[in-house]
Amino acid sequence: MAQEQKSQKASAWQAARAVFWSFFGVRKSTDYNRDAVRLTPGQVIAAGLVGAALFIATLVGIVYVVMH
Amino acid sequence: MEATHAHGQDHAHDHGHGHPTGLMRWVTTTNHKDIGTLYLWFSFIMLLSGGTLALLIRAELFEPGMQIMRPEFFNQLTTMHGLIMVFGAIMPAFVGFANWQVPMMIGAPDMAFPRMNNWSFWLLPVAASLLIGSFFVPGGASAGGWTMYAPLFLQGGISNDMTIFAVHILGISSIMGAINIVTTILNLRAPGMTLMKMPLFVWTWLITAYLLIAVMPVLAGAVTMLLTDRHFGTSFFNAAGGGDPVMFQHIFWFFGHPEVYIMILPAFGIISQIIPTFSRKPLFGYASMVYATSSIAILSFMVWAHHMFTVGLPTAAQLFFMYATMLIAIPTGVKVFNWIATMWKGSMTFETPMLFAIAFVCLFTIGGFSGLVLAITPVDIQLQDTYYVVAHFHYVLVSGALFSIFAGVYFWLPKWTGHMYDEKLGKLHFWLSTIFFNVLFFPMHFLGLAGMPRRIPDYALQFADWNKVASIGAFGFGLSQLILLVVVLKCIKGGVKAEGRAWEGADSLEWTHLPSPAPYHTFETPPTVN
Repeated sequence: MAQEQKSQKASAWQAARAVFWSFFGVRKSTDYNRDAVRLTPGQVIAAGLVGAALFIATLVGIVYVVMH
Repeated sequence: MEATHAHGQDHAHDHGHGHPTGLMRWVTTTNHKDIGTLYLWFSFIMLLSGGTLALLIRAELFEPGMQIMRPEFFNQLTTMHGLIMVFGAIMPAFVGFANWQVPMMIGAPDMAFPRMNNWSFWLLPVAASLLIGSFFVPGGASAGGWTMYAPLFLQGGISNDMTIFAVHILGISSIMGAINIVTTILNLRAPGMTLMKMPLFVWTWLITAYLLIAVMPVLAGAVTMLLTDRHFGTSFFNAAGGGDPVMFQHIFWFFGHPEVYIMILPAFGIISQIIPTFSRKPLFGYASMVYATSSIAILSFMVWAHHMFTVGLPTAAQLFFMYATMLIAIPTGVKVFNWIATMWKGSMTFETPMLFAIAFVCLFTIGGFSGLVLAITPVDIQLQDTYYVVAHFHYVLVSGALFSIFAGVYFWLPKWTGHMYDEKLGKLHFWLSTIFFNVLFFPMHFLGLAGMPRRIPDYALQFADWNKVASIGAFGFGLSQLILLVVVLKCIKGGVKAEGRAWEGADSLEWTHLPSPAPYHTFETPPTVN
């Protein structure tokens, strides 16, 4: 059972996708059900922090492009 | 099982000796329902107090020229109206809902820290006394605006110190309440009540509580620096001593913008309980709602300087905060679409809670759209400090936060009192509130666009007509709230007996597992959630 759960743990990419959709505010129910089982709180927090940093970096990049 | 049995004996023991009665019941109570009731009554009293100040403001603005007060007193009224409504009425009302509902909705016997819960509440009347009492000290109450901006707030008399002390106390109360709510939700859920099975009201409060823990210390830091600047020779915000008054605005709004979401996320939660109930359909996109709420909470930390577009920010910062502010509208829009999709093809009925919930969706969206208008930097530079801003945030905080509180009170009154409220009076309250609300605040958009500045006791003649209309709306709206008082008192006193599941479409634990009124102690044996 423990092994099965371990093998089901989401990859970093899956965590990133979940966080991306959470920023948008929409999640397909099948994907969400998978997230609920596989994502660990640590993964969500780490992916959320990276996502927030990327969000800020993207906005700063757009501002840079607009101003130059 | 043994633990459950022992708990049951304690319960019997408790009743054998009886609780303190009379005033001491309320002073010493550690029961989440009692404390919830205290919070709600406190916030109602503060609503009437802050509302009275608002009516004085509107009385003065009924006609151009100075009629009934001095300009300094007018400034005190606007300042204290803001502080009392934000910290005394809206925030404690939602904590009252959390106290009553969170344990019942997750199958917990009480809040995690009942004694701290008592203290969280009883700090509030102390803070309220300081705020209201400051009207009577030399120089009168604080008059520099609810945002307490330096350098204005560095000047002035003892009332500013009283306000700082009150804000500290309110902050301590909020942080303790938030810790209690987080711990209760994370540790006391019934078996089977996984996070993603929690009612949306509980989810929104979990996220709100984290926001409170994150930003109330920031506010405490800001007002502490004000205090040391005032009395202990520091110059954090004093330009003459090398400080920077704009830094106060950055720190204040780093608290202040998440604070806006602290006041609206629990409202989203209440509306997300009511709309599915009266549409007799499950909430559309539950997971999306949870994700959108989290997203709004995170984004709320990245938009604070949109309150400061005119202080001389570099263009790059103006652009950054404009873009970030516009993007926060996306998850908020997701929520509005989900509520509409929940109602779509539902078997809808229009009892008072549902009427207020629908008004919330329509009118809060207007407030959201005017927020988008203000997010555009060049537009905001025109509209900064005009009545357009006043219209915007009252659409968000009155038809948003306050209407959701009304909706929640009507929705849960049968569970709290065991009686159905008077539907006719409830609907009268709804229609008068909604009509007068719009008579009061919609013309403020016109006044703002025409250039009428906020926080002034007198105005140019071209603004006279719409000010008169707004003042009529204000008195209509204010007096209509007395109907709510009558409804609640009537409902407590008696009325048609409410069933355990008073609303056909309600499916959370307090409706499916508990009688009405909810007994003093509930879920001492946790229910099992499938």
